[in-house]
Amino acid sequence: MASVSEMYDVGWEEMRDKLRKWREDNCRNSEQIVDVGEELIGEHSAKLGDDIWIIYEQVMIAALDCSRDDLALTCLQELRKQFPDSHRVKRLSGMRLEALERYDEANKHYDAILQDDPTNTAARKRKISILKAQGKSPEAIRELNEYLEQFVGDQEAWHELSELYINEHDYGKAAFCLEELMMSNPHNHLYCEQYAEVKYTQGGLENLELSRKYFAQALRLNNRNMRALFGLYMSASHIAASPKVSAKVKKDNIKYSAWAANQINRAYKVSCDFFRKDLNALNPLI
Amino acid sequence: MIGTRFLQSGAAVMGEVELSCRAYVKMYLHACLFPRCSVNGLLLSSSSAGGAVCVTDCVPLLHSHLSLAPVTQLALTQVDVWCSQTQQRIVGYYQANACASDCSPTQAAMKIADKIAEQFDGAVVLMLDGSKMSPDYRVPPIVMYERKDSRWMLKDKHTIMLRQWEETHGIAIQMLESGDHSLLVDFDSHLDDITRDWTNQKLNAKIAELASPANGNI
Repeated sequence: MASVSEMYDVGWEEMRDKLRKWREDNCRNSEQIVDVGEELIGEHSAKLGDDIWIIYEQVMIAALDCSRDDLALTCLQELRKQFPDSHRVKRLSGMRLEALERYDEANKHYDAILQDDPTNTAARKRKISILKAQGKSPEAIRELNEYLEQFVGDQEAWHELSELYINEHDYGKAAFCLEELMMSNPHNHLYCEQYAEVKYTQGGLENLELSRKYFAQALRLNNRNMRALFGLYMSASHIAASPKVSAKVKKDNIKYSAWAANQINRAYKVSCDFFRKDLNALNPLI
Repeated sequence: MIGTRFLQSGAAVMGEVELSCRAYVKMYLHACLFPRCSVNGLLLSSSSAGGAVCVTDCVPLLHSHLSLAPVTQLALTQVDVWCSQTQQRIVGYYQANACASDCSPTQAAMKIADKIAEQFDGAVVLMLDGSKMSPDYRVPPIVMYERKDSRWMLKDKHTIMLRQWEETHGIAIQMLESGDHSLLVDFDSHLDDITRDWTNQKLNAKIAELASPANGNI
């Protein structure tokens, strides 16, 4: 089988830089990381200098994701040798046990870290991940809520909590989490759009109007967000069709939905001439 | 054991569900493309109503926020329109849960299934069993539900037919191993980039190519 460097005609420096980029962007393209990382470690470890340790960590986690326990163990052993008392490495040991579904042992690892250092957020998050993997959603939610009382600025945790609530159909609480995220990230169009989707799902006139507002806000932040555009069209159409709204509100929403429909048509016309969308068919929406 | 015998063409038996190679392979590849997410999609039929339900195709829908309404409603409407243009109908719903050991349908899944059942009497819910999807499993990793007296009941395995199962299974594994699952476009991906085709014509062509000529209409 051809090596990565042969297939893509890249040198070891480019491979190292690619790995760094994936680290910085927090990508979960584990199969690629394993391909590139395994070759880099195997053939060029001497050239990597101190970078090698963070690469071992990155490749180890990716290897776990791809059920490559052989590779994961190799990386872990190198890290253990170099950093024998490290909590960070102990967490990686725990993650390997999680991948092998040895959850009780993994929990022991994390509890040991927390005994030593009660503020270790990584260990706490791993324990919550174990609850999630075991399908214990209510417990995961409870633990995550407790965590957030202490670490109220942890964006990743708020988002994880919103996902858990959405899966449990607890849309009110999911909306609350997304509100926290929107407050601290006012320019993030994805949070606005997700919030709008949750509101739309909750239903009822007030929620629909809120959803329309936040779909519109998401579009202001990113006018190419198709979900927000469709969401604006659908929420405005529903509001306009509601018997409970005033004539003015009806008129306004017909205008918004017509604008959105126009934008959608334009986007499709520009993008794919063979794939015309008949938007009149979208009208009977429920 | 799910029935894998050859069916005479036109042997339409009440209560039986036939799953085509194309439908199975695309569902399988959809689940493999997003192994860390729950995925879902719609089951389609190009056959006339009555007798066995023949699932001839599927449309992969989502790999995130399966229980949120807007994108699901949008997708259902668009697929409906496409079906009426192509003489197909929506006959069911499939889902593969993120947690491989859990193949029970979610609340959101049943809501969508109810909607489909309003338009089509013999609607089915198909759950992919994540724990049985690896290549060494010789049995279709499928659990199906059908509606009886307004309740969804587990369907008898003997009434689920997969034509040429060995070959279908082989095609699915082969396409996974050659990375073809990355060609699959679900509705979620389409919304991320609307130039991508959620009807998956390219993938359909590849599957047809791999299926043996003896299969006839796949």
